[in-house]
Amino acid sequence: MGTLSSALNIAVQAMLANETALDVTSNNISNANTPGYSRQRVNFVEAPPVEYGGQLYGTGVQASQIVSLRSGVLQLLLNRDTQQQSQYDAFLTTMQQVQTLFNETSGNGLQSSITAFFNSLQQLSSNPTSMTDRQAVLTAAQNLAQNFNSISANLTSLQQNADTSVTQSVNQINDLTPQIAELNGEISGAVSTGQNAGSLMDQRDQLINQLSGLVDVSEIDAGNGNVTLTTSAGAPLVVGNQSYQLTTQPDTATGFQHIYSLGSDITSTISGGALGGALQVRDSTIPSVQSSLDSLASSLENSFNTINQAGFDLNGNPGGDFFVPPPAGGVGAAAKMSVAITDPSQIAASQDGSVGDNSNVNAMLAIQNQGIVSGQTPLDAYSNLVFQIGNDVASAQSEQQGAQASIQQVQNQIGSISGVSINEEAANLIQYQQAYQAAAQAAAVISSLTQTAITMFSSSH
Amino acid sequence: MSIRVNPNILPDLVSSIEQVQQEAQTATQELATGRSINNLSDNPAAAAALVGNDALTGENDQYLTNLTDLQGKFQAADSALNNAVQLMTTAISVGTEGANGTLSAADRQAIAQQVQGLQQQMLALANTSYEGTYIFAGTNVTTQPFVQNSVSSSGVQYNGNDGVTTVQIGEGQSMQTNVGGDQIFTNANGNVFKAINDLANALNSGTGIDAANTEVQQAFSQLTTQRVFYGNALDRVQNSQSYLNQEQVNLSTQQNQLVGANMTQVIANESQAQVAEQAAVSATAQILSLPTLLNYIK
Repeated sequence: MGTLSSALNIAVQAMLANETALDVTSNNISNANTPGYSRQRVNFVEAPPVEYGGQLYGTGVQASQIVSLRSGVLQLLLNRDTQQQSQYDAFLTTMQQVQTLFNETSGNGLQSSITAFFNSLQQLSSNPTSMTDRQAVLTAAQNLAQNFNSISANLTSLQQNADTSVTQSVNQINDLTPQIAELNGEISGAVSTGQNAGSLMDQRDQLINQLSGLVDVSEIDAGNGNVTLTTSAGAPLVVGNQSYQLTTQPDTATGFQHIYSLGSDITSTISGGALGGALQVRDSTIPSVQSSLDSLASSLENSFNTINQAGFDLNGNPGGDFFVPPPAGGVGAAAKMSVAITDPSQIAASQDGSVGDNSNVNAMLAIQNQGIVSGQTPLDAYSNLVFQIGNDVASAQSEQQGAQASIQQVQNQIGSISGVSINEEAANLIQYQQAYQAAAQAAAVISSLTQTAITMFSSSH
Repeated sequence: MSIRVNPNILPDLVSSIEQVQQEAQTATQELATGRSINNLSDNPAAAAALVGNDALTGENDQYLTNLTDLQGKFQAADSALNNAVQLMTTAISVGTEGANGTLSAADRQAIAQQVQGLQQQMLALANTSYEGTYIFAGTNVTTQPFVQNSVSSSGVQYNGNDGVTTVQIGEGQSMQTNVGGDQIFTNANGNVFKAINDLANALNSGTGIDAANTEVQQAFSQLTTQRVFYGNALDRVQNSQSYLNQEQVNLSTQQNQLVGANMTQVIANESQAQVAEQAAVSATAQILSLPTLLNYIK
């Protein structure tokens, strides 16, 4: 049998439940623009009924649980896309500067100084005794060497910039992982006591997403609200409430920072995020451009030296080195390229020793059409390099745009589940307001009935 | 029940504005530079092709400079040989005059004197130099090629050599730029100096004048033959110049096709992008200022 006091209790329970719901709604509205916030919802359940006299009586409503609406799968997709996008961003930041070093579309690339050098030899070919034309050849050769030097130096400094950003990324990773580990601990604590860990999970998702922007993260659900984070190659970052720091140490050969996890060098296993992009530029792309440049420089130097040595200079003496011989194997040839000849008369234009002979100049000119750079003519080798760089940048750009579009799509999907809709919350607000008012009204009515019951007999006096 | 959509539409709206702004910026850059390719990555293949195109253009400029140089040199040589041919014509006419049997010995010697003068003039022509180097010296261009030598049967000695030079005048094309001075002036099939020297000696002695005249005739035709080389060379220079000029026009057309912006298209793109940007901005402003249910809660 129901009583007035139980009815009053039910009404007050309802007011409390709706207060909780209003609280959650208000929190949702407050966080409508908070990045990473997942909207929350109150689950109302019927309070357990009581049996009295063989009859079950309902005991009202309970706000049983506050839950966050989130999708772990979409969050993983977002992290994967973020990782890719950051990787291409980091790659492009440097490579867009690399491509301006080779920008032939503005006519300032290496091609013009190669052509100018050969043209100065053409000029000398029609006037092999002219000191003016000889001086012009030396000047053009020096310009060519300086152009090689400065492009190579610029590449090295861009490589150093990438190296700096490697250190920065590692520092950021080391800053994030302890925070995630701490949240892991708090979340598993909350989960074990059945508390709402929604906002802690929001924070952790945000941090893991930031981490994905830095390195290729592999995420495993370890149960009890814990996630285990490793690099995709398996180096541990966060396990339970424990985080693992990455360390850097300069490589003895290159001087560039290598990355260590638990004492082993994991540099070459890192493939994503800003760190992956910077490592790709630093350890693969720029070295490959440098090596093409070195091979072009050393092939030109060696070919000119051989031919100059085979001829005779203006004074009838056998020719010497035209360029300072490049390092063996050509490594660093572009950076060190310099002209060996100091006196214009030392250019060995003649093959037979007579001053007016230009056969040796013509032999130098022929280099232009010889496959001296791994079977390619100097110009073909250079235009292939230009194509390669342009193509690397172009494909990274389209990958980056793809990742960007994918991120936008995933974010929309996440938003459709987790995003706060002001209209929806406003509707909820009205609903809970009305329910609260109704419960309060019910309580007032019951209270007045109780009063009636209390005064029932005194009024009969 | 309808599918819940992402209530936060701001990122989508902003990204569509950014996209049209990007298009406007690309169009503006193309307008400013006149090029459709401003970075290698805009079109890597065209950028690589441009390397070859620019190099060819630069090389052709140099070939044209070479041709102008050669033209000067060939003209100097041709004009020297033209004068030499005229000297030979004079030698032929005075030789014919000297062959007249009615002349006195003194008259003949006077003519011989004139012939010796021709020899001196011929020597000067054979030693013609252009821009500081001797044209008719083979490749021994800094040494005077022809000097007087009374021991020699021709009265002169050749100090040059047979060396010839070739100069590139186009992709894969080169031309010979000289003929050895001995081939022109002391050729076995007609030795200019020996013929004149023999004529002077014959006139002085009064014997063998007819034979000397025949020799002068032969030397004359030999000289004319050799002169043809420079005449042909001048023609070839002119042909190559007009070919290269045409080639430069072709290369510049190709370059324009590779990287030139289509201005009409670019201007259309830019105004289209501007309209799209305005539309996107105004739509965004309208959407963002739409009232929500909250506005109606009293």
